[in-house]
Amino acid sequence: MDSWQLRIAVLVSIGRNPVSGAARPNRNDLLALELARKAGGEVTILHAGDPNKPALADYLAYSAAPLEIIPLPGGQDIVPALAARLQGFHLILTGSRTEGGEASGMLPYALAKCLGLPIVAQALDLAVTEGQAEVTQFLPKGQRRRVMVRLPAIIAVHQMAPLAPRYSHLRRVSGQSVTLPAPALTESASTAWRTEPARKPVVLKAAEKKSGHARMAAAITSESKGGTLVTDGTPAEKAQAILAYLRSHRLIEF
Amino acid sequence: MSGIRRINPRRPFRITPEGIRRIVLGEEGDAGDITLSPVARAASKPLRLVGEATATLLVVAHSDRGALDAPAREAIAAAAILADPATAVLVLVLGDLAEELGPFGADRILVVPECGNGAFLPDLEVSVLSDAIDRFQPRHVLMPDSPTGTGDLSRRVAAALDAEIATHVVELKPDSVACYRQGGTLLARRGLPRFILLDPSAIDAALPFRGAGERLDYAAHAVAPGLYRDLGLKPVAGAALPLEEADFIVAAGNGVRDVPTLEAVADLFGAAIGASRVAVDDGRFPRDKQVGATGKTVQASVYMAIGISGAVQHLQGIRACRHVIAINNDASAPIARRADLTIVADAQAVMQALLEETSRRNWRVTDALEEAADG
Repeated sequence: MDSWQLRIAVLVSIGRNPVSGAARPNRNDLLALELARKAGGEVTILHAGDPNKPALADYLAYSAAPLEIIPLPGGQDIVPALAARLQGFHLILTGSRTEGGEASGMLPYALAKCLGLPIVAQALDLAVTEGQAEVTQFLPKGQRRRVMVRLPAIIAVHQMAPLAPRYSHLRRVSGQSVTLPAPALTESASTAWRTEPARKPVVLKAAEKKSGHARMAAAITSESKGGTLVTDGTPAEKAQAILAYLRSHRLIEF
Repeated sequence: MSGIRRINPRRPFRITPEGIRRIVLGEEGDAGDITLSPVARAASKPLRLVGEATATLLVVAHSDRGALDAPAREAIAAAAILADPATAVLVLVLGDLAEELGPFGADRILVVPECGNGAFLPDLEVSVLSDAIDRFQPRHVLMPDSPTGTGDLSRRVAAALDAEIATHVVELKPDSVACYRQGGTLLARRGLPRFILLDPSAIDAALPFRGAGERLDYAAHAVAPGLYRDLGLKPVAGAALPLEEADFIVAAGNGVRDVPTLEAVADLFGAAIGASRVAVDDGRFPRDKQVGATGKTVQASVYMAIGISGAVQHLQGIRACRHVIAINNDASAPIARRADLTIVADAQAVMQALLEETSRRNWRVTDALEEAADG
């Protein structure tokens, strides 16, 4: 048995039920917690914010790991406070986006810059070997990419990770949460934003001065590309026409 | 002046399909038939940029198989709409490029073929983008907020530069951006930041003008191997994918009676199988294969519609598909207007011919998958 013990920090936020708006554990962060449990090692759950939120205790129900809370009032920058606590961890796992709040998905990147660590986002799976982690990344169109990253590293988990977090009431009542001493406050830099009630966004369109005829013509004809029509030839020639089209657009490799 | 409004009897006109001469209202110029083909009409759009450009807007996009996807085109269009007549739209294409970007609004194009093709090269891409920002000093950098592509890259660069960034932008105006907060209950707005990450469909990509589309030289530069190592893509079986995620779909309609042959064709391309409502109602395919308004909406690169006439409800489901290939008996079916390539023939004969024409090739999707599973 080697003395190397994998230490994982899971960053969690307060989520938001999309229908009722009630506070709940963030689905993405729960996936990160489950992935940390699967990877093995010593897990610490870390939250920066109001320590009195009841939804925080729900995180205890999904894992046997202890919950540490950095008390911070709203409107403060959480990156320096988190970075100070995250020294010495081999892996920092988090969801890809919060459900409430700003939900910009910038936190893992800001932390990576602050701590000077590599970051791999959109992780679906994780396998830790000596000093390295092999991450399976989500790509669109059903593709998956494998990436090796040197530890320590930050890994943001994709919302489609095939994991099923399990709720246990026993863990919820027996789990421990610790409130850490309050850190020095740093005012959040993003003061440029003003909020307004949500409405349907207006699509940006180029202003266009059209003649009456052009407007009429646009209403009855769509801007079609005018596809190719193949009517003549044997079925074999037509099959070749399909293959030639696919080849010319590099859609098949034979 | 006599006070009588005089009308030029030789105003521009066009000839309708019925052969009747129609005067074109609002059109100026010489007399004559001004009917133009769609291609000629597109080429006749005026250049947006007049004279020498004094400022730059940068658009960054990943290419896929030498072409840009719809969100990337929207980002270019957004930059072209925001830019004033003395501002050039510079497009940085990560990956190779085989199409013209001028019609989408790009004035200058930098192509970096070393990136792209699904490779994970964050160190190289960050250095390429930082170099471009250094060299051209763009006022704003616009890009689609794709989670793995430019969304990842721009967050890295914005964090490194400590620059202002707006992500998941749903509304763009000449002086402000807006994005949702608190799970979509609030809209947050601010002035244009340095980095603008656009959500899909926030911009109408149709432009009344075109860009110059001039390619700039780009000297690639090597980057020391960093903390990441790319182990490559995992091949996936198209048939095992849900339809919404599939990249190649072979879909059957009422014109296909022979399901095993269709499955063989799908297997040939490593494609997922879809079906029209008629084929599903007949019981030839399960309900979860149905594409269209009451079925699934798909985003495949290739949609091969075999024996599908293309009802409006079906075309709704394939609106986001890149290349549509139709095999149909009837050249006047609605699918022929949507398709990029229409083969007018009996579906069964063409499917058989496809299988025969490719029977001698030495590469198969299933073999590649088995090899990957073994190794």
